[in-house]
Amino acid sequence: MKTENSHDLLRSALAGEGFLLFDGAMGTQLQERGLAAGELPELLCLSNPQEVTEIHASYVAAGADVVTTNTFGANAAKLGDAATVEEVFSAAVSCARAAHPRYVAADIGPTGQLLAPMGPLAFDDAYELFAHQVRAAEAAGADLFVIETMADLAEAKAALLAVKENSQLPAFVTMTFQEDGRTFLGTTPEVAALTLSSLGAAAVGINCSLGPAEVAPLVERMLPWASCPVMVQANAGLPRVESGVTVFDIGPGQYARAVADMLDAGVTIVGGCCGTTPEHIAAERALLAGRRPAPRRVRDCFAVAGPQRLVALEAGQVGVIGERINPTGKRKMKDALRSGNHDHPLAEAIAQERAGAQILDVNAGLPEIDERAVMCRLVSELLSVTTLPLQIDASDPAVIEAAVRSYPGKALINSVNGKAESLAAVLPIAARYGCAVVGLTLDEDGIPATAEGRLAIARRIVAAAEEAGIPRHDVVIDCLAMAASTDQSAPRAILDAIRAVKAELPGVRTVLGVSNISFGLPFRPLVNATFLAAALGAGLDLAIINPGVQRMMDVVSSWRVLSGEDERARLYVERYADRSDSVQAPAGEKCVPVEKGAPQTAAPTDPVDHARRLVLDGRTAPMADAMAEVLVHHDALFAINEVLVPALDEVGRRFEAGTFFLPQLMASAEAAKAGFETIRSASAEGAATADKGTVVVCTVKGDIHDIGKNIVRMLLENYGFDVVDLGRDVDPETVVKTVEERHVRLVGLSALMTSTVPAMAETIALLRERAPWCKVVVGGAVLTPEYAQMVGADFYAKDATETARIAGEVLG
Amino acid sequence: MAESYDIRSVDRAEVLHYLGYSGQSLSPELDSRIGEVVERCLSVARPRGVTRVFEVAGRESRDGLPVISLSGTALDLVGNSIAAHLEGAVAVGVLAVTAGAPVDAELRRLSLTDRVAEVIMDAAGSALVERAADAAEAILVAQAAERGLYVGSRFSPGYGDLPLLTQPVLLSTLDAGRQLGITLSPTLLMSPMKSVTAVVGLFEEPPEREYVICDECLRREFCELRSAGRYCGRRG
Repeated sequence: MKTENSHDLLRSALAGEGFLLFDGAMGTQLQERGLAAGELPELLCLSNPQEVTEIHASYVAAGADVVTTNTFGANAAKLGDAATVEEVFSAAVSCARAAHPRYVAADIGPTGQLLAPMGPLAFDDAYELFAHQVRAAEAAGADLFVIETMADLAEAKAALLAVKENSQLPAFVTMTFQEDGRTFLGTTPEVAALTLSSLGAAAVGINCSLGPAEVAPLVERMLPWASCPVMVQANAGLPRVESGVTVFDIGPGQYARAVADMLDAGVTIVGGCCGTTPEHIAAERALLAGRRPAPRRVRDCFAVAGPQRLVALEAGQVGVIGERINPTGKRKMKDALRSGNHDHPLAEAIAQERAGAQILDVNAGLPEIDERAVMCRLVSELLSVTTLPLQIDASDPAVIEAAVRSYPGKALINSVNGKAESLAAVLPIAARYGCAVVGLTLDEDGIPATAEGRLAIARRIVAAAEEAGIPRHDVVIDCLAMAASTDQSAPRAILDAIRAVKAELPGVRTVLGVSNISFGLPFRPLVNATFLAAALGAGLDLAIINPGVQRMMDVVSSWRVLSGEDERARLYVERYADRSDSVQAPAGEKCVPVEKGAPQTAAPTDPVDHARRLVLDGRTAPMADAMAEVLVHHDALFAINEVLVPALDEVGRRFEAGTFFLPQLMASAEAAKAGFETIRSASAEGAATADKGTVVVCTVKGDIHDIGKNIVRMLLENYGFDVVDLGRDVDPETVVKTVEERHVRLVGLSALMTSTVPAMAETIALLRERAPWCKVVVGGAVLTPEYAQMVGADFYAKDATETARIAGEVLG
Repeated sequence: MAESYDIRSVDRAEVLHYLGYSGQSLSPELDSRIGEVVERCLSVARPRGVTRVFEVAGRESRDGLPVISLSGTALDLVGNSIAAHLEGAVAVGVLAVTAGAPVDAELRRLSLTDRVAEVIMDAAGSALVERAADAAEAILVAQAAERGLYVGSRFSPGYGDLPLLTQPVLLSTLDAGRQLGITLSPTLLMSPMKSVTAVVGLFEEPPEREYVICDECLRREFCELRSAGRYCGRRG
């Protein structure tokens, strides 16, 4: 059926040398033919193939090169028992073939479920749903794939990987954007283009969303970042209801005129989405006649992306990589990685972002943990709190691969080095998943002492990367900082090496973990800052530092003025206009100032009264000093039992009586927590006294609402309980395992919906069976004392203060 | 179909109500903190909605329960409470609205950095999505007025005995996944969390309850009728 000529058409389109015309709307056409809203349109391929083929044929007659199968929602989860994926794809491809198009594109839409961490669907499960479709479409004889209307970059990536790993056919990937230029989940056109084209999409683009006039500026933002052809299938304008019928406001002529502008900008693959008709496609056919693709210029600078933010470094720009998410030498970070409660690294991520980091390094390397599992979960959780691109930092290639595979963006891998084994293991991962990579200038013989030695290794790394298909602008060379205290010629060798790499390997960027330089010296921050300035002067592009250290960010900000990156010193003036050596600004900035507008009332003179007062007033900032004052005259036991607990009890009474409402309760709890922290850090005795036992809390399986649970957790923590928060949507098995491992005596379960109460009963039943010593308290919007009894709980708590009281009884 | 709503304020009393406020003394710092978080909520939210109107095709009884079927959609409304709510309706307006995923993301961030702001944001998000539902309802009121019909009050899956299982078909009827980015968990919870689905009846007679005056109407700022000098109820 296929001629050599038709093969050439696809090949030249994939090379960006020719145009390809897709079809227009399927859904709108089906609805015109009487499909009821809310029914699965895919089933018509089986029940009414003639109708589906007629629609395809109308697009072929209008001049479309490619028709798209009626399989948008044909995944196993959506089809359920209605039909198998194989049946639908087989019928759908037959319907399309019967219209005699040049090419049949197998259509893959979103799963319809939200992916983790915000939703319930695991990346691997999404991948399996897509892989099932891909195998079915390939078996049915499709010529290419169209992955379309994606709002979640992770989901688009899962689908693209499913095509790449289960088929030889090309995959065209388009996402859908809102008026604000982002998908529902916040991805920008630049991020989508960079991530998906780096990952090997045959074409990337935009579909659905908006009319062609609104899509045009978005696709223009995509074009510079897509190293593959760019595709547009816009809607026929905005839909509106006219006497009960949905109509679209852009006719074929107007549609084609808007498409013409996009062709001029460099788009080469077009078609239509909702509301477009064979007439729209015919108008595009006429538009393409006699045209040549417009020349395009794709950016070739270093660029990485998180799901919502692209970070690019043009020549002469410098960037900051935050180094804090790394357990080396950090007790709290180690504890967090071991326990699985990642609040500390997540808070560090937020703090580093606020302080000015542009990329975050993530390292989960501890000998006694499952690094691969911990890294994947940490990365997934980081995505829900920071928009910064991540640098995946691990020595085990298996850990790197697991993390970058599901990462919704273009990650930076840290690292490969000059050893043959490392090059062979890491570069293929970077190439397969479209990542940028850090190359360390060390090899089998260690770190060369000279700049020439380091440059030689850098050359080998860049050559091997290019060999593996990684462009050199995605390679970042780390010339490795060594301690000046052990070898005073080391700093100069490092700076010379940076200069040499920049001069001899144009296009390659450099990176440096700065703080090693001061190892063994007193007042290290000063040495670090001086060396950072020198390294920036030598041409360093990316500094791995702690952005929370103001001195380091000062160097970066002032360097950006000296290098000309900060034009007219605008940012510098904005940030430093009021600074001098006598006026220090705090590192970072607060999002919601806690103490803003606080009345300057005279503090009570007695420190004990003062601390109690702060709890009652819910004022956190002065608490550390106030509690330190209390501890001058009293021991930890007194500070807890005579100061904090009575004040919290009073807060609880006021809340019960209705004289305090929720935010006041929370603010008081926050202040008390600051007091407990001061006691804990003051002495080991304080830490021991403050610990009142462990409580496990979570929202049960199937329930994603966690605000109530978070309030309970905060209050328990502030009464001095060690709270293990397992999060939301938690499997009964996870709860029981945690309880068994730590021999926990109290579990708090929260459920917000009647539909998730059975999961509560299930969790309790499993606890009774395997951890009979453990008591259970339940709460949540739909719970009542009767429900609590029905599900087998020991206690029902109507609010957080009651949970705290119950915890006191059980563990006290 | 999908529309963005320009919501620049939420009812402060409603935010306080969600926070359990009942006239306690409010310190100036807490007051200004609530104001800041509400502003933040308004600035990150992307309120959008979809509405459609379907004619009532029939009323029958299935397994002992009343069922209202609608023409042009697979959506059936099952149960005694919805049957009573839509008694006499000639058509049904269906709506889905969301405050958008950024509110969820902000809540997640605040749960790690500022728990007080988290509960305020949660309340602000709830108040905001109710405003979005008011805006969607205003569109249905205007459509009803075109036909000389009157709109009753909102009723959502999960109220009374209208099953939560109504959600999947209701959302696909509105194409809410594609139009609004609303997805359902296997336990039928919506994501983004601050989303609302509802149905309203379209009646030939004004509902028995007194129509509110425009100044007190929640749909006021979204009302197309009012700007055209018209009124949705029957005067005097």
